[in-house]
Amino acid sequence: MTRIEVDRERCVGSGSCEMLAADLFEVGGDGIVAVLRPEAEEDDLDAAEEAVRACPTQALALVD
Amino acid sequence: MTVDAGPQIDAAAIDLDRIDLSDRDFWLEPPAVRHAVFDALRRDRPFAFFAEPEVPMLEPGPGYWAVTRYADLEAISSQPAVFCSGKGAVSIQDIPTDLNEFYGSMISMDDPRHAKIRRLVSKTFTPRMLEQVVESVRGVVAGVLAAARRRAEAGDGTIDVVADIAAPIPLRVICDMMGVPEPDRAMVLAQSNIILSGGDPELIENQDDPLTAFLTAGTELAALMERLAGERLADPRDDLTTALVTTEVDGEKLSHQEIASFFILLLVAGNETTRNAISQGVLALSEHPDQRERWMADPSIDRTAVEEIVRWASPVTWMRRTATRDGEVNGHRFAAGDKFLLFYAAANRDPEVFAAPQRFDLTRDPNPHVGFGSKGPHFCLGAHLARREITVAFRTIFELLPDLEVAGAPHPLRSSFVNGLKRLPARLGGGG
Repeated sequence: MTRIEVDRERCVGSGSCEMLAADLFEVGGDGIVAVLRPEAEEDDLDAAEEAVRACPTQALALVD
Repeated sequence: MTVDAGPQIDAAAIDLDRIDLSDRDFWLEPPAVRHAVFDALRRDRPFAFFAEPEVPMLEPGPGYWAVTRYADLEAISSQPAVFCSGKGAVSIQDIPTDLNEFYGSMISMDDPRHAKIRRLVSKTFTPRMLEQVVESVRGVVAGVLAAARRRAEAGDGTIDVVADIAAPIPLRVICDMMGVPEPDRAMVLAQSNIILSGGDPELIENQDDPLTAFLTAGTELAALMERLAGERLADPRDDLTTALVTTEVDGEKLSHQEIASFFILLLVAGNETTRNAISQGVLALSEHPDQRERWMADPSIDRTAVEEIVRWASPVTWMRRTATRDGEVNGHRFAAGDKFLLFYAAANRDPEVFAAPQRFDLTRDPNPHVGFGSKGPHFCLGAHLARREITVAFRTIFELLPDLEVAGAPHPLRSSFVNGLKRLPARLGGGG
């Protein structure tokens, strides 16, 4: 099982992840992203990896 | 500096000892010349040092390193603790205290303060939230293009792509989001033109005193904000201005000065950058008719096409960072206080990252351009909004103005900071 984690200090809510994987990420009213499915399923992995790479503040991580 | 402006210029023919990026006239050179210079810098002097341009009434600073390689730019941008924005991100000179009042917004702040202020408005600019404004953007664009058509028909068939299409679209969209009333919008456009003029003589009449023009522009926009802030406090609405005046950071309301700076940042950044992406995009499509045909016929390439326009135009040419300590980046030693200009326009044509970087290819994928900034907390807040505006603008141009034809040379803005066009003559209805 792979977990998607957010560093709440780093995230500024740029929405890059939300653009790439709207069903996994949603920036909240506090300006920090919420992970909609933290326990990533097999089908989510490609999109999740792309979001991790694209995050401008390197606030996302995949943890096995 | 004078170089003949052929369509393709060999970077090897450039004598770097004669190049000065602080020479304002360099930024009037045709794109082919500027990119040949960037190619030469990237290849031979990836950290080139330049003296600062002179600004009347300001003490000249120590100079800056021009960063032109993608990898170096990313390394600097992604280490905000070492390369800070707080000494100024949008001017080569440290911001004079009196200008800081208006222009010292979060773009020139560091975390944690920057992140806290930015998060106040992050949600407004996310893809999900902007989905809800797409319809209103379509309405804005259709209205602007219909007016351009009427203007052409009432006159000799010509229009100005900048004044009639590219400028009014983002102006109306950002003013709608901020709740700026219609009668104030011409003033907003005029003052934001001055703020991002780069001192271009057409926009700054008194060349001996550009600072006063910048101050006056800031004062006018701040006065508008004061008025709107008062109105929103008494009568909150569903707009960004209400969010700015009613929310708190660390239990404090933003100060009037912070609100004024924020408001000016959103108005200016929301206007000029998208305008230049649209006008430079129209120009690029007219220079590459095969690409224009392809995109017109195939909306499925909207996503990659818009990214390529942003890479190609690089509407913001650079941002500044300042070293907070001595150190080394990719083999380059630097000292605390050193200034770095991150040349996005150069990194966006780096052959280490982009195959055939001088080719305008609307299907380019992947396209990891830095037109919205590189890694780091200052990545463009308005990126998703700009993408939508540009997409809707071009799709609607294809639909309503399929006969749009560039009909004269572009008039570039004399600015190193934004890749602006002042005018782009065009014609509707063929003939001529």
